[in-house]
Amino acid sequence: MNITSNLGPEYTTMAKEFFGSHHPLFNSFGVEIGLVGKGQAEMSMPYSRSLSDCRGALHRGALVTLLDTTCGLAIFSALGSLRPIATIDLRVDFLRRIPSGTSLRAVVDCIGRTEMVAYVSGRGYADGSDEPVAIVAGAFAIDTMGPSFDAMRSEEPA
Amino acid sequence: MNKQMMDIPELFEPEVDSLLSEPFVDFLGFREDVVNDENRYMIDFREEHLGNPLIRTFHGGILAAFGEVVAAVHLARQRGDAKLPECATMTFDYLRPAFAGTLYAIPNIVRAGRRITTVSVQLRLDGKLVCIGRFLFPVGKKDAGGIA
Repeated sequence: MNITSNLGPEYTTMAKEFFGSHHPLFNSFGVEIGLVGKGQAEMSMPYSRSLSDCRGALHRGALVTLLDTTCGLAIFSALGSLRPIATIDLRVDFLRRIPSGTSLRAVVDCIGRTEMVAYVSGRGYADGSDEPVAIVAGAFAIDTMGPSFDAMRSEEPA
Repeated sequence: MNKQMMDIPELFEPEVDSLLSEPFVDFLGFREDVVNDENRYMIDFREEHLGNPLIRTFHGGILAAFGEVVAAVHLARQRGDAKLPECATMTFDYLRPAFAGTLYAIPNIVRAGRRITTVSVQLRLDGKLVCIGRFLFPVGKKDAGGIA
């Protein structure tokens, strides 16, 4: 199954531009986009000492940032566009400690939406394990302040 | 009691600075000062905190991460712990766009229970409330009690 085809290559390209090296946070986190389908997204980040805690594991805050970002991408893929969205609320439960020195991966589904709000649910994994380290649930407002993220394209080289 | 045993409590006295010696805390640019005997926690916007580049707001994950660090530092200080506790659950409400600027955090221990301690944190920007977070910290039996 090629779930990327649901979104169309132009959105995958846009998403990669938006979440790619032009963006200072995603750049410093080393965020990589995995599969993106209609309403589902997967992103990962490598281990980085500068984002770690005192145990040498990626900090929970780094995982929350990755999860929040992946929630956004899942919603973009459900909408089929990069209309502006903003987090209304987010809940993250940490099921176990993040192991030291490992990369992280987030998988999020956009479960449903109304005209104004999109609802997401997902999981965070440490490298090499199928047991989630965290689960996330959130609500995002659609068509919030500011221009569409597609506007990024005209500002930056493709 | 011999001298060696009496020395032990001194060795394990909490060091305030060691609480914050985490690379991620440096990445946030976490800082604090004391105003009227109250600790004030803050971060200044950096490009690496950017969420929406078109309206230049903090990333939602950075806001939640800052809230968690504040909650953990506040709880550790109240308890006299030498290590930051790790939260088990965070719920975070985004009330207004958090534009690039200096964020202040106001933590509050909502309830110190025997099993779970709940800490709420308000994030303010230019005097306006931008986020509220709630953080649940498991406090094991060994750690129970002694919380203000």
